[in-house]
Amino acid sequence: MSIYLPIAEISINIFLLISLGGVVGFLSGMFGLGGGFLMTPLLIFIGIPTNVAVATSANQIVASSVSGAIGHWRQGLVDIKMGGVLLSGGILGSIVGVKFFDYLSNIGQIDAVISVLYFALLFSIGALMLIESSQVIRDRIRKKTVKKKLHYHNWAHRLPFKTKFYTSKLYISVIPPIIIGFVIGILSGTMGIGGSFILIPAMIYFLGMPTSKVIGTSLFQIIFITAIVTLLHATTTFALDAVLAVILIISSVVGAQVGVITANKLRGEDLRALLAIIVLVVAVQIAAELFIQPDDVFNFSHMANYK
Amino acid sequence: MNLKSIIIIVTVYLSLILNSNSLVIGSDENEILIDANFSGKDLLVFGAFYADPSQPREKKGDILIEVVGPKEDIVLRKKESFLGFWLNAKSVKFRDVPSFYYLSSTSKLKDSFFEKNSIGLLETDQLPEVNWSLITTEWGTVSSDEEKQEFYEALVRNKTYENVFKQTSEEIEILDGNLFKTNIPIPNTVPVGTYDVNLYLILNNKISKDYSYKFKVRRIGIESIIFNFANSFPLLYGFTSLVIALIIGWISADLFRRFRKA
Repeated sequence: MSIYLPIAEISINIFLLISLGGVVGFLSGMFGLGGGFLMTPLLIFIGIPTNVAVATSANQIVASSVSGAIGHWRQGLVDIKMGGVLLSGGILGSIVGVKFFDYLSNIGQIDAVISVLYFALLFSIGALMLIESSQVIRDRIRKKTVKKKLHYHNWAHRLPFKTKFYTSKLYISVIPPIIIGFVIGILSGTMGIGGSFILIPAMIYFLGMPTSKVIGTSLFQIIFITAIVTLLHATTTFALDAVLAVILIISSVVGAQVGVITANKLRGEDLRALLAIIVLVVAVQIAAELFIQPDDVFNFSHMANYK
Repeated sequence: MNLKSIIIIVTVYLSLILNSNSLVIGSDENEILIDANFSGKDLLVFGAFYADPSQPREKKGDILIEVVGPKEDIVLRKKESFLGFWLNAKSVKFRDVPSFYYLSSTSKLKDSFFEKNSIGLLETDQLPEVNWSLITTEWGTVSSDEEKQEFYEALVRNKTYENVFKQTSEEIEILDGNLFKTNIPIPNTVPVGTYDVNLYLILNNKISKDYSYKFKVRRIGIESIIFNFANSFPLLYGFTSLVIALIIGWISADLFRRFRKA
């Protein structure tokens, strides 16, 4: 059964969309990731135009972050002040990101830039996850327990404009979180991702936030960033497809819950190793499209296709 | 066969009796509607033509059907290898290109015929290969004739690949010598707008009769509402889509929390 997507202007099998949303939701629920970094490239693979994939993916992340943030909020695990500071950089970054996206679309380089960015992102995530999970598996076999540092003192503590973040029990400069927010905002606007897999390690290692507060806070700020990206795309690139968004949102929230339940029953590191391999395969696929000569070196697009 | 078709055929025969060398069209529909289930459609064109029945088949004349979609502006880009990356390098803008073009005839017609009557977009045996007189091009950095030709060919090739350009001499079916029928495949990627259908009766390599009509492709139902909403009130549309996301996210968190507690 096909469904005609009004903004993407193509008709596509609805079950393909539902299973795509379900699988991405499942993976995101299982690993606690937003899933945007898989959603956007997979949407492009199945033939959704790049601009629609990015804009709609951002909208879908709003739903999955709200769904995830509520639980953390109820347990008091959201540092609102830190979220707000990250957001102040993030808003600026997302505006820059969407403008950058629009500019690249107009000069015809958006597909190539998106591919390069996704390749770099997926390849590094995949490699890091594979290294990390294989270490854990190795330690498990050797029956070693790993001690983690609780607090990192680094350059983030020596910059001016220091302020107190009570929830996170931190006294650091506002400059690093603003910069982190800004960078994530650009990536969000350009790639249609929430950026939690960059944000979470950055908050732990650069800002020294307690791990328990990191996920809730990142989800909290991702809601707002992806909401702004959604609005900016709706008004700048006119590429937000509400029909596609609703299908993906419903299938991914259900998938996410199944993922959470499954994750509790299985060993994390084994699954992370598996996900790492999936992510690397997607990365290689994207790279192949960039490096292998296309069947037809010519391609066309409609001018001012936003209107 | 339904009543409509019978009436049309009777009309066709009546007018054939009154005229020699005539062409009458009965079209199945003058509107194609795009809704949520739209996955392309076959446009049925049928009618009757009359030429001297005592003549052999090839002297009776040919039918030519041309369908021209609304005009659009296109950027055609060429990828070139740059440090191993295949990136879009040169680009050419084509303005007023038909978004859909279909040409079908009962037998293969000579290029000289197309040229003389300025019909056709896809003539392939001669230079210039395409009837570009109605299309404006902005060449940008492309200067050599050879490269221009390459771009022309690529446009036709890409459009053909997307099933929006087609030239054929095999798809018109002739029934009992005077009636003809064809199904023109309209893919699901066609844009909305007005399409022209031009039919010609060709005798001795000349147009003996012609007939034109239009049909419309338009969105209906929820697809049309969403499309218009997104383009007329983008901010409100964005907000609506956001609110839907927030509500679904919120409800799902709540629902599954209760579900897990139970």
